[in-house]
Amino acid sequence: MVNGYFRYIDYGGSLEYYIFEIANYSFLVLLLCLCYKLRFININSLIVWTGIFFVPLVLNYFIFSPSLFPDQFQYALEVMSLKSKGISIDAIASQNAQFSLNLGYLGSISIPTNPVTFSTTFLGFAPIPNFMTVTSLAFANKFFLFVSFLGLKKFFFKDENILLLFFLIPSLLLYTSLALRETLIIICSVFFLLNMLKNNYIISLIFLLPLFVLKIQMFAFLALYFVGRLVFRANNSLYMLVFFLGFILLASILLQDVILQIINYYRLGFAAENMDLGDGIYGYYAFSLYGEELAESLELTSILEVVFASIAGLPKLLLMPYPNTWSSIFYPIQFFESIFLILLYWSISVRNNLLKNKEFIYLSVILLLSCMLYSLLVFNVGTFVRYRFSLFFPFIIALYYLATLERGNKTKLLK
Amino acid sequence: MSFLKKIEIKSKALLLKEFFYDYFWKKSSLNLGLASLIFSLAIIQFSTPQFYISATLRENKSVGSSSPSLGGGSDNLFSIVSSESNSFGEFRSNIYSYIIAQRMWEKGWATEIYAGGDKSIDVNKIDKPQTLADRLGSLLLGYELYDFYSPHDLQDFISSKVDLQKEIKGTNITVSMLTSDQNFGISFLNELMLTADKYAKEFLILKSQAIIDATYKQLSESRNSAITASLAATINKESLHIATLTNDLPYHIYFIDPPYSSEYPVTPNTQAIFISNFIIFIFLSVMYNFIRNHKEDLW
Repeated sequence: MVNGYFRYIDYGGSLEYYIFEIANYSFLVLLLCLCYKLRFININSLIVWTGIFFVPLVLNYFIFSPSLFPDQFQYALEVMSLKSKGISIDAIASQNAQFSLNLGYLGSISIPTNPVTFSTTFLGFAPIPNFMTVTSLAFANKFFLFVSFLGLKKFFFKDENILLLFFLIPSLLLYTSLALRETLIIICSVFFLLNMLKNNYIISLIFLLPLFVLKIQMFAFLALYFVGRLVFRANNSLYMLVFFLGFILLASILLQDVILQIINYYRLGFAAENMDLGDGIYGYYAFSLYGEELAESLELTSILEVVFASIAGLPKLLLMPYPNTWSSIFYPIQFFESIFLILLYWSISVRNNLLKNKEFIYLSVILLLSCMLYSLLVFNVGTFVRYRFSLFFPFIIALYYLATLERGNKTKLLK
Repeated sequence: MSFLKKIEIKSKALLLKEFFYDYFWKKSSLNLGLASLIFSLAIIQFSTPQFYISATLRENKSVGSSSPSLGGGSDNLFSIVSSESNSFGEFRSNIYSYIIAQRMWEKGWATEIYAGGDKSIDVNKIDKPQTLADRLGSLLLGYELYDFYSPHDLQDFISSKVDLQKEIKGTNITVSMLTSDQNFGISFLNELMLTADKYAKEFLILKSQAIIDATYKQLSESRNSAITASLAATINKESLHIATLTNDLPYHIYFIDPPYSSEYPVTPNTQAIFISNFIIFIFLSVMYNFIRNHKEDLW
């Protein structure tokens, strides 16, 4: 859709801003009423989703400035540029990041490989009336989150009310109410894992591939899960799981140089991004001035060191933001939420006797490996609280699905 | 076709039709739809058309410092670093600073902004209306309110009106503002950017001058030929720095596109306001009917 109607103007928190965004909210609530009438959702979902859809209106420009998550502007500018001119904004267009596939007589398909363009192209399909401000994309995110709720309810979970509770986790409410790509990452990861547990490998692959563009590290973690389950059958026997882990270790040692280079590159990048020398000297600029010593101290030199450093960093990743770093209202909420999610993971597995379930063990091992890798990169608390949540949430949903399968099997046996 | 049977298209279509007639096809929807038109017209009538004034700038790369080489994968990292020099941050801080507001004040911009361009009014005697909240605050906390506008107000005006954006990993800086007067917007933005840049240059000239003065003092006391040579080199370097700064060229930035205005007002967006208000009012009508029909379920 190339339409001059969409143009980015910074409306701030003006009357026009609220008119445009309340229209988006109204449209989504009308959709909810329609879904209720068509019996896709029950009354509880109708009420709760009416509230969930309202959250974007009270975040940007109301509770906090959208500059708190400055990436939002890039997404907003990109979606409006794509809609009004059909091309990316200059900063993205200059990267010329796209994958073209020639289909002969049928022409060719171009898929953007820039994560911002890719996600905004997709979010732009949300049938909301206005794409006028950063909050419009938040409503687009909410639309796709609701569609995924319908999908989960239809194909995976019978109990709509319990499923609804998962959508009330504070971090999910927050990140899906911003103009970021976290929603798409979470949706793809959730459907990938659930389809894997259902042995739908082709469908899983369809959900896995977009992650290559959206979030390469999520793609790597889930691809590991995919290979381990499909090739090694690590979910069927503990021996195969040990063999799979041994294979990973051996491959890591053989490819040590490449792996260390990648890990050190990202460690350095995240450390540089978070460096603050005061007096307005921060980020990459500060790092370019005084980063030499820091770079040396951060460098990991062997796989063994990687393993130790990742284990040592695990508690920090799982529990951050620690109370001594609380600098905004979200931090205490996210701290207690992280404890709650760990307890929830534990509680679901114990209550449903999953501790000896091989599928559960394999799922948890992959989650642990992913967390260990993330723990090597934790320098910016805000960023990694977000990354941790988009990793942890899909695994919790998958675990809950595993628990419902287990309960179903037990009921069948009892009959 | 068991798949289609499962979807129950016929019953869903009936429910859809029912939904339309029960909630949309109502007199209240028509009334509120018409009310939305009046409401939109009122908003548009009471809004001041605003033009979008913007300028595209680029950081002056010669200002940035060279980066040390760390070897290995760090070279790639510094390709990012090189595009992230601190000029933008400094330029931005200057634009929003009090000292720049004061200089703009001295140049008479307060008359343009607060006195409608009436040059007969003393710039320091422009009456400032006080809000109820301000009056209440002064009464409760026991401080006096200023009766006239000051550079502080101009600083607030600049902070709220002028926006500076730099693309992430990009090079261009966009300075923009919304204003009802195109000519005022273009001149104000141009003057503001040049004043901020000139201030940065003045500061650096003063700094270099101070270094030269201190170095001369050291030079007169120095007995070591190596130290003397080094001090002389410092004086040469700083003198050259002053020479390069003593001109009319911009220092932090250079213009890709000087300030210009949009051809037509960009806000209020009439089309979007009409559509949005129509959706909101129809939504209110649907919700009214929906809640009335489902109050048993909802409560």
